Amino acid sequence: MTSNDHAPPSGPQPTRRPGSFSLEEPERMAEVRRRPQSFDEGFTVVADEEDPFITPEEMAAADAAIAQPRKRHFSFGKLALGAFTAFLSLAFWLWADQVVRDLFARADWLGYTAVMVLGIAVAALSIVVGREVYGILRLGAVQTLKADAEAATATPGPKAARALVDRLTKLLAHRPEAARGRAALAATKDEIIDGPQLIELAERELLAPLDQKARALILAASRRVSVVTAVSPRAVVDLAYVLFEVTRLVRAMADLYGGRPGTIGLLRLLRDVIAHLAVTGSIAVGDSLAQQVLGHGLAAKLSARLGEGVINGMLTARIGIAAMDLCRPLPFRSLKRPGIGDFLSDIARNDRSPT
Amino acid sequence: MPPSLTSLTDDALIAFDNLTDRAASLLHPTIRLGVTGLSRAGKTVFISSLVHNLLHGGRLPLFEPMRSGRISSVRLEQQPDDAVARFQYEDHIQALVRERIWPDSTRAISELRLTLEYQSASGWGRLFSSGKLSIDIVDYPGEWLLDLPLLGQEYSTFSERTLQLAETGIRRELSETWRQMTKTVDPDAPADEMTARRLAEAFTGYLRACKSDERSLSTLPPGRFLMPGDLEGSPALTFAPLPQTPDGKYAKGSLGAMMARRYDAYRNVVVKPFFREHFARLDRQIVLVDALQALNRGPEAVQDLERALSDVLACFKPGTNSIISSLTGRRIDRVLIAATKADHLHHESHDRLEAITRRLVDRAIHRIGMAGAGIDVMAIASVRATREATVKQDGMLLPVITGTPIEGEKINGEIFDGKRKTAIFPGDLPEKPDSLFHQLDSKPQETLLPDLNIVRFRPPSLEDTGGAIQLSVPHIRLDRALQFLLGDRLA
Repeated sequence: MTSNDHAPPSGPQPTRRPGSFSLEEPERMAEVRRRPQSFDEGFTVVADEEDPFITPEEMAAADAAIAQPRKRHFSFGKLALGAFTAFLSLAFWLWADQVVRDLFARADWLGYTAVMVLGIAVAALSIVVGREVYGILRLGAVQTLKADAEAATATPGPKAARALVDRLTKLLAHRPEAARGRAALAATKDEIIDGPQLIELAERELLAPLDQKARALILAASRRVSVVTAVSPRAVVDLAYVLFEVTRLVRAMADLYGGRPGTIGLLRLLRDVIAHLAVTGSIAVGDSLAQQVLGHGLAAKLSARLGEGVINGMLTARIGIAAMDLCRPLPFRSLKRPGIGDFLSDIARNDRSPT
Repeated sequence: MPPSLTSLTDDALIAFDNLTDRAASLLHPTIRLGVTGLSRAGKTVFISSLVHNLLHGGRLPLFEPMRSGRISSVRLEQQPDDAVARFQYEDHIQALVRERIWPDSTRAISELRLTLEYQSASGWGRLFSSGKLSIDIVDYPGEWLLDLPLLGQEYSTFSERTLQLAETGIRRELSETWRQMTKTVDPDAPADEMTARRLAEAFTGYLRACKSDERSLSTLPPGRFLMPGDLEGSPALTFAPLPQTPDGKYAKGSLGAMMARRYDAYRNVVVKPFFREHFARLDRQIVLVDALQALNRGPEAVQDLERALSDVLACFKPGTNSIISSLTGRRIDRVLIAATKADHLHHESHDRLEAITRRLVDRAIHRIGMAGAGIDVMAIASVRATREATVKQDGMLLPVITGTPIEGEKINGEIFDGKRKTAIFPGDLPEKPDSLFHQLDSKPQETLLPDLNIVRFRPPSLEDTGGAIQLSVPHIRLDRALQFLLGDRLA
């Protein structure tokens, strides 16, 4: 509102006729009807490199860019490790047995105390192990859900898809953000929807709010990393901070999508994320993007530390996206997978604003 | 319940065929690929291009076994059926590549066997599979496909439907002569060969008029009337639909009774063997749909195509095979609906073409999906006759396609001579496919109709360097189609 609106009428007002004005932009494109026509000259043939059917976009590269969990195979190293662990635990029990016996021989109360302490230790340890196993199983459940979703999309019968969506709903039952999506899916219970469409619906309804949150998490982590890198006095400090931030981000991501990993689960996830970065070559991609950001005369304006901040922030964002790939219970199908480009401008803006 | 397509005896024969097939494929794994499509949909070209690309190691990046180099050899083999002609692949390719003409209408049935030797991608697969897969492909006149729905129709139903259809839309005018003649004939009059012949000829004339290039209608059973093969003039092909008597029966020895008998003979002698020998034994199916030609001719042709396709597709048995069921009654477990001649449009229009095609076979897609078979729709071009280009016009870039239009093709009054290379903008396909299907119900509104002029192109010229044809035929998404149809059998 401007002050003119409140100004008292100073003279005879011009009469204003009632009228209606469309707020929509006129759809020009739709109006221009392109007529069929032919041209004998003046056309430029699309070069082979840009022709989508002569040079198809590399499917293999696109696949590689999506982080995949490593397949766990049998290996003799693992067998040896397991056997040694079993052997060592036998040795441990033998030793514990000996200690308790010795203590009983010395004084009864010492023996009882030892047994009690040992009992508490075992109970606590088993809870810790139980949690870890539960965390790993849950992470595994997310992965099988993803694989099943691929299979269910290929078979159009609604039964498999419905079962899958039920599992997904259960997995995300603790997320308040998905409440509306859960209700929407429950409302379609009796409707007949083809399998692929049902899965797409579930993806949009259940995962879209979570994806948004994941995006916010990644962005926040990358910003923090880039700022800390920019102001940190020593390289060791920002390295440590990146590690800390990445660990936190991966755990938050797993938690967000219903994974709840324990320590070992988190280590596994981190390993998969790092392995993914190793495969796709974080530096190469980072370089090309850094050129995009820094090349436009920005390098001159920004100090070297700020540039490093952007690069570290991008690295964090890439790790976040990889973690998102690994933790998300459905593959990206109806929703767009966020790319590094989506975060780039935000991270850079953050760095530019303080200068 | 609609009458079943097959009788008990047929089922027994089909089951027997399947058992022998299965036994043979234990030693020699075989897959029967059904290339289904109405006439002019591009079956022959599809088969030729598929074989050529596989044989010559064409550019098939999305066909995984080929890309990863697991296919060690591809060769043509003697085809297994001695009674069926061999598909003349070499001649078709010669015509396509050297003379740059599209093959003529297929006039008779032919078959081809292609054998791939491959290594399975998994260690277990290498241990147990024989590493060999034969693909049997059958080519046949698309007109014959129109006969399959007749298996489920009695003469009375057939007559009623045909007569009804003949009075709608553009057909009314085309069927005028034949309908007048039918009115003068009394079905209860004694049977007379000459009358029957006159009627059959007039009926055939009507079907031919509907099929002509300007109309491009599709629902035209019985198909052998258009493409008689070696049965020309036989009694089984000398009948025509007649109006029904109130009780649905004709007097003994009357013209109507004779027509009904000949119709049954047509079904038994012509349609059933064709169905049993070629369609009841398919493993995979690709349905080629030439939606562009119908779009070119307007909503009536499009709706007619929809009717013909849904009738035909209702005759197939999609579903998943269990070990037991696959022994006797084979089901088609993957169906690909392919909108052919996608090269006649710029690739930015392919999504719309796919949407229109999906809408065309809507019911079939739903049924096949419910049966548990895999189904996909894509826009393909078996042989890519054009290249893409852009034209700057009024400050906007207009996406066009370039190629050599066939002699006699027209656009904006200009007629092509078949020699000149030209860039064509064929018009925008409608964004919402439904707009094509509601036109006939309401009053035709010219403004809503898409302004389309699809120009047909000659096959591309391949610059071959050596003496033999070494270059592979260019295509659009043929590799994706192959991956969908055969990929899992070569896994």
